[in-house]
Parts: sequence; structure tokens; C-alpha cells
Amino acid sequence: MTTLQEIGTRLGGGRQLTAQDSEAVVASRDLLGLGALADDCRRGRHGDRVTFVRVQEIPVDTVEAGDIEMLPAAGEARISGRIPERGQAVRAVQRVVSAAGSIPVTGFALDDLAETSGWKPHAIVDVLAALKDAGLSCVAEARVERLPGPEWLEAASRAGLPIARLTVGEPAGDAGGVELIRRVAAWGGALAHVHAFAPLARALPAQPTTGYRDLRQVALARLLADNVDSIQVDWSLYGPKLAQVALIFGASDVDAVSPDDGWLGARRAPLAEIIRNVRASALVPVERNGRFELVQT
Amino acid sequence: MTVPPIDIAAGKVAAGARLTRDDAIALYRHAPTHQLGRLADLVRARKHPDGVVTYIVDRNVNYTNVCVARCNFCAFYREVGSPDGYVLGFDEIFSKIDETIELGGVQLLLQGGHNPDLPLTWYEDLFRAVKQRYPDFKLHALSPPEVVHLSRLSQLPVRAVLERLIAAGMDSIPGGGAEILVDRVRRLLNCYSKASASEWLGVMETAHELGLRTTATMMYGSVEHPEERIDHLLRLREVQDRTGGFTAFITWSYQPPNTELGGSEATGVEYLRTLAIARLVLDNFDNLQASWVTQGGKLGQLSLTFGANDMGSVMIEENVVRAAGAAYCMDEVEITRNVEDAGFEARRRNMHYEILGEPFFRRHAVPRFTALDVAREEGDAHVPPELDRYPARSRAGKLRQLPAAKATR
Ligand code: SF4
Repeated sequence: MTTLQEIGTRLGGGRQLTAQDSEAVVASRDLLGLGALADDCRRGRHGDRVTFVRVQEIPVDTVEAGDIEMLPAAGEARISGRIPERGQAVRAVQRVVSAAGSIPVTGFALDDLAETSGWKPHAIVDVLAALKDAGLSCVAEARVERLPGPEWLEAASRAGLPIARLTVGEPAGDAGGVELIRRVAAWGGALAHVHAFAPLARALPAQPTTGYRDLRQVALARLLADNVDSIQVDWSLYGPKLAQVALIFGASDVDAVSPDDGWLGARRAPLAEIIRNVRASALVPVERNGRFELVQT
Repeated sequence: MTVPPIDIAAGKVAAGARLTRDDAIALYRHAPTHQLGRLADLVRARKHPDGVVTYIVDRNVNYTNVCVARCNFCAFYREVGSPDGYVLGFDEIFSKIDETIELGGVQLLLQGGHNPDLPLTWYEDLFRAVKQRYPDFKLHALSPPEVVHLSRLSQLPVRAVLERLIAAGMDSIPGGGAEILVDRVRRLLNCYSKASASEWLGVMETAHELGLRTTATMMYGSVEHPEERIDHLLRLREVQDRTGGFTAFITWSYQPPNTELGGSEATGVEYLRTLAIARLVLDNFDNLQASWVTQGGKLGQLSLTFGANDMGSVMIEENVVRAAGAAYCMDEVEITRNVEDAGFEARRRNMHYEILGEPFFRRHAVPRFTALDVAREEGDAHVPPELDRYPARSRAGKLRQLPAAKATR
């Protein structure tokens, strides 16, 4: 049986995981060993750097209802919620873009867009192109379990619209989660226009996951999905403590930091909190925007 | 070629040798977090090769929130005479014990503020009444600063106070109130006067001499330097070398919300590192608890990889951490699930860390709970009738005991 140490030595020498290595890491119950391996892998790509983004969510159904008030600290204006019909989506993007000024606007889920387009590849390319023309910087997410294959990601890249992140919508359990990671890994070069992969489910399961399972999932995502640049954790969904520990188990990008610094006082404001947490992990925080461009903090 | 200090220290851990202060500081400051975890896990596995993780079913009861100590890191206390101040009545405590026993509980963790209107006899009467009703039920009661407070209030030496409390039914002493056992830090936290470092350690050493087992704690992340955390651990290690009386060590991060001191909480990674270094320095402690009540269930579970072998208590009730804004909850089912998910066997224990058996809920129908109970419902300001039997020391207490005040109650 291949040991994690042997795999680590091979990875350190610049080699990729073999199929046998992949089986070994999936079979391993050594959480710290997996974490250390994933951390090495992550440092190989990003060094000490952790990127984070302050996101202002704008529910799509509120866009038509009234004025959009942008928080100046936001690095991304994200239109959230289920996709309305195409014309409404385009209007929503135009309105948010005009309110957001220089803040990049992202929104929607690729799988929702595909569904609204009747799962017709040429139709989705048209929709994406229209959204891009309206000013959309990135599609906010693509839920791995809902995408039948990589051709949908390729459609987005044909339309010239990157995908901010692959996500897992519904909890799939331990084995199901690994299967989704393998699926992402198998999509290979189709991920060239995908910035990040967030492997922890966004919907809460009936029974909460555990710290072990979450960190194992993050570490496996980093080790197996070497076709994705960043493994991402969600600051608000998973909470600062788990999200911070995930940074030493393979994650290198933090999503959903609040841009609202007002209500907790300066020392506990989200910006101060994320910076403190990243530094306390012996890493270097760097703010980015919704286009994944680094910004000065 | 010189060997880096963390490699020397890591080598000592691997060889089972004792760490010096410098070794500990080198590891704590510079070792990668995975390495610290690995070393702590190695020591845990050496001490507990059976793969068992324990926990206790007990209830964390705070008998009063009235306190004259005024520690600036505390969100729990109320000043004497405050309308939010409370003292639990004996009957309230009995019904809490009844509920605890129903859930398979075997003891109360009983701690509270330094209330000048509760003399030593109140504690003796309470303990005796508990033991009379529930002879097998244990009282893990009164942290060292509470004992020091009673010693000052009764003008008796600590040893005499402990002897009286033991005679009344006290079974062991929780390690609360240690904060950081360095007087510079204690002065900054305004808790030097409640008990200096040597007073805290002195109570524990005396208790051990009198045959009690106790726990030890550390609250880190307020105003201390990392080296002072190591000094704290070394002081505990020294006492343990002499007495062997500590059953376990528990560390948690300072919880800033609603406190006078304020600031921000130490992060999750700092918690795991602190737990791990404690496992390495405290080579003469068998048990390290995970503090899920301050870190949440997920980090609580991860603690089992960073040196902890015990999930602490089901708690049932919690007031102190909640006052500072944290509201995590794990019932016995949840604790067991987390322990087993991490690859260990979950076993119930008593205060001496003796195994009592498999999880209680596997053999008995017990209600699930998703939030910890509180000492008193908000707004319930009733004064227990038996308080009138004990002469009050505070002005507010004396006024309350005037006949006219009693008549209006
Ligand atoms: S920590 Fe204890 S002694 Fe200090 S103020 Fe709070 S209740 Fe009183």
C-alpha cells in the first residue's frame, strides 16, 4: 500500500498523483497526514497567500423592487437566487452593474441557466453572451452534482464568461462527496475558466457534518482536483473557526466575507477578523475582487 | 550542523522525554500546526492506546451570578444589588439534579460568583441536603477562587474551609478561575485579588493533600504572552509532580463579547495549537478535555487529533460562556456521533475518569436537546426563602432581610 509519506515525496518532486496514489489518499483515515499533504500541495501553488473576497449578496427578486444600495467595501456584487427568465436576468444584471460602479458583478448558477435554456448548449451560450454584454463579470457558481458533464463549462468559456466557483449544492455524504471531487478532477481542462472549487455542501444536511468530514473533503479536493487553481471555503456558511482550519488543510481562497464593517466595532469587523485569522494560521491575507483580481487593502 | 530547536523538542517528545521551557516555546511558536498535532496525537495515543474517548454526563450549574471580584474578562457576573443578580434556591438545585439523573448524569459542576451574602454555612447546608437526597450523586464544586473567597469571608484558613466542605459532601474541585497563573497577567485581568497564582495553586495542593482530585484549566487569549501560557502549564506540571492530584486539564479561549476588557477571540488554529502544546508540556496529566462549548462541535471533534482524549461534559446547562455570546450545544447523542466519526469509542466516565459504560442513550430513552438550559429564566428574580436563614453581609442583602422587605416579597 502506498503511504502518504511516499505520495508526499513524489508530490514534492513535482510529480502528479497516480491513480494508485488517489486511491491511497481516499482510503486514508489519517486526517493530519492528509491535511499536511494537501497543505504542501496548496503551498506549491499559492505559497503563503490566502485570497478572500468581500461579497454583497443581492437577491435577484429585490433588484426590480427598488434601489440597490452598495456597500463601498464590497469586492463583489453577487446576484443570488433562482434565475428568472432571460430578459429579467439581463435587466437585473444591468441594474446591479449601474449601481455597483467599479465593483464586479457576478451572479446565477450555471446549472440553473442551463435548465432555463432547456439544457441546449447553443441556447446557454446565447444567454451567457447576453449576460456578459449586460456587464456580468463571472457566473457565480456551477453546482457539480447538477451538471451532466464538462460541456456546460466549455459553453461558458465559449461565451467568454468565467465561472467563479464550482460548488456542491446538496450534501452528498462522505462517499458521495468524494465522488463529486473525482468528477471535478475528471473534467480536466474544461476547468480552464473556473477559478475555484468549494467542496463543502452549501445546503445544510439534516444531520450536521463533522469537523473531520469537512476537513477531509477540503484536503481531498486539493489533492485530487489538481485541475482547479483554488480550493475555496465559505466564511459565513462554515464559520471562521472551521474555515480558518481549512486554510491549513488545502483551502486557499475564502468566499463570502461580509463587506459590512459597521456593527461589530473595528476590532471585530469582518475585515479585521479575516486578516487576523489568516495571519494566525501563519499565512498572508490578500484581498481580491469578484473577478479574482487582487486589490489593495 | 546545528539541529533546529523544534527538531530537538520534537525528538524529545518522540523519545518520551520531558520538554523544557525553551523546548515548549520553540514548538509553540514555530512548529507547523500539523506537526504539533502529530506530536500531541502521538502522546495521546501512548497514554490512551485503547482508542477510547470519554465524556461525562453532568450539569454545569452556576448557583449565583452575584460577584464582588469584578474580573474584567467576565461577562457573567452581576454586582451586589443588581436587579439581574440571582441566587438559586435549594429546591431549584434539586430539580436540576433530578433532570440530570434522568439524562444519565452523575454529578453537578457547581460554581458561582463571590457572593458576600452566602456564608460558608450556606454551602455546607446545600451540600448536606444534596447528599441526603442523592447519596451517590457527586459534587464537583467550587473553584479555588471561590474557596479563597470563603476563607476570607469566614476568616478561616483554606485548609479548614476545605475540610468543612469535604465533610459536608464536596467530592472534587473544578479547576476554574486559573485564567493564566502569572500574577502580571492576573493584575491586568483584575483577578489577582480574587486569587493570586500561588493562592490558586495552594488551594489545589491542599485539596490534593486532603485526598480530593481536581481538574486544572487555562483561559488564554486575553492579555498574556505565549511564553506566559507555557509558564502556566509548567506551574501545573510542578504541582502535579508533587501531588498527582489533577485528573485532567482543560483550556479555552477568552470570550470577549459583553466584557469590560473586550477585544477579539483567539482563533481556531490557536486553540488547536494551545491544546497540542498543553498535551506535550503536561506529560504527567492523563486527560485533556476538548472545549466544544467555546470552540463549537467541529473544532471540539478536531481536538481529538490535537491531543484531547475527553469530550468534557454534556453540560445540559451553561451560563458563563453564553453570557459572552457563544451558544454551542452537544447532547450525548451528538458527542457520541462526533467521537465515533473521528474513529474512537465513546465511553461515559465519572469525575475520576473511571469508565461507567457505553453511551446512556443507547440503553435508555432520553430526550434530545438542541440548546443548553440556563440557571434561571430571564426576568425571574425571586429570592429563595432559605436565604433569610443566612445573615447577609452586603448592604443590599441586609436591606432585603429587613422585615418590611420580606413582607412585600
Ligand atoms: S470570573 Fe468568576 S470571580 Fe471573576 S467576576 Fe466572573 S464570576 Fe466573579
